[in-house]
Amino acid sequence: MKTLYTSLLILGAILFLPQPSRAESSPPLELSILSSRMLGGTAGDYVTVQGQIKNTGSVAVSHITTYLSLVDTENKLPVDLEDWSAEKGLFIGSIEPQQVFPLNWKIHFVKAGKYSLIIVAAAEESNTPQVSPITRFAVAPKRNLNPGNVLPTALGTPLIIALLLSMLVVRRQKGVQD
Amino acid sequence: MFKTLWRKEIEGELYTWKGLVWLLVASFLFSFISYLLLTNKELSLLDQTEMLWLLGKVIIGVALLIVTIHASSVITTEFERETAESLFLTPLSIRDFLLGKFLASFTLWLALFVVAIPYILAVSAGSHLAIPFMGYVLLLGSLGTAGFIFFIFALSLWIRSSKNTLTIALVILFALSAPALFSSTLKAAGLLDAVTKINPIDAIFSSLDNVLVDYKVSLPENAPFLLPLMAFCLVTFALLALSVLSFKKRGILKNE
Repeated sequence: MKTLYTSLLILGAILFLPQPSRAESSPPLELSILSSRMLGGTAGDYVTVQGQIKNTGSVAVSHITTYLSLVDTENKLPVDLEDWSAEKGLFIGSIEPQQVFPLNWKIHFVKAGKYSLIIVAAAEESNTPQVSPITRFAVAPKRNLNPGNVLPTALGTPLIIALLLSMLVVRRQKGVQD
Repeated sequence: MFKTLWRKEIEGELYTWKGLVWLLVASFLFSFISYLLLTNKELSLLDQTEMLWLLGKVIIGVALLIVTIHASSVITTEFERETAESLFLTPLSIRDFLLGKFLASFTLWLALFVVAIPYILAVSAGSHLAIPFMGYVLLLGSLGTAGFIFFIFALSLWIRSSKNTLTIALVILFALSAPALFSSTLKAAGLLDAVTKINPIDAIFSSLDNVLVDYKVSLPENAPFLLPLMAFCLVTFALLALSVLSFKKRGILKNE
């Protein structure tokens, strides 16, 4: 009897409780990553993250904003994309059913570390964004140490200017003596 | 005629070694910064574009400071030493006078740029940025210094005192440089956003950032930064033209 009451209660809840509206469900968009899911390089390198967005539904989805979200996984902090990517976001006016759009982002490895990147797509008519699988970056540090290159410049340039000034003094003194 | 004046001014700089010591000091500064950037273990981890951006800011910053100081005295001393009167008794026109003085101040910037070339090449070694970086430092520095020279000359003809001209010019230079130190979030706020868009020094640094970080090297891609700089040059040139008209009205000897 108790089981019957419980079953009736669950059935009632399914039938009469308010269902989530369309705005609260995810848009029928599928984000996929075509490039390697693990990208590596040295600070200063550029890589391209290639992805695509597909409308898997039967109606067109409009006003979609796609953007990147980058997290420093070593420090557990989100990263400001300012220097990492010139294109911060891509706006798509409308995607027809089953239509596919390519999404390419040129990423500049600014700082050494481990990072994870996802592409986020938010449709205006939905409260829930869609996210892509994670792409992981392993960025090795780049030391620009090159004393062999900078030392002659750092010492040589002031030396040449000092030499020119000395020549000027000598020339001037000669002129005074004459 | 302006060539004679220009040559006289440059020869004046070369007359004693003291006139060129600033160039030696500037080269020491560039040496120190370049060496520090490329040999310090912590700083050498900076991205190369960041290093170049820092070096570019130092080169143009030093140039603006030196040109401001030079331009503030190059005209006013003619009034203070009372040589302006005899100068205008010669067939020298006000246009030639200003052009000769302008070229004298502008030559200092070009001399500083020539000294900076080895450092630009050393810091950008191994990257593909040497040529665009050098080109944009020359272009942005030239526009920035030209605008400042026009403005300072306009002040000089009005004020005719090197101390006051220099004080006003330096205060304006520092006031325009201050917002460049603010973060991009702060700059995006209200009034500061509008100021940033027309501030010539901000335009110089933003354009360098655009070229080095985003690698947008073409002129159309840098138009949002080059246009305010050109507008700055035009406005300061118009101010100079007004100042010349006022100078012609007031005459050489009137100095209130």
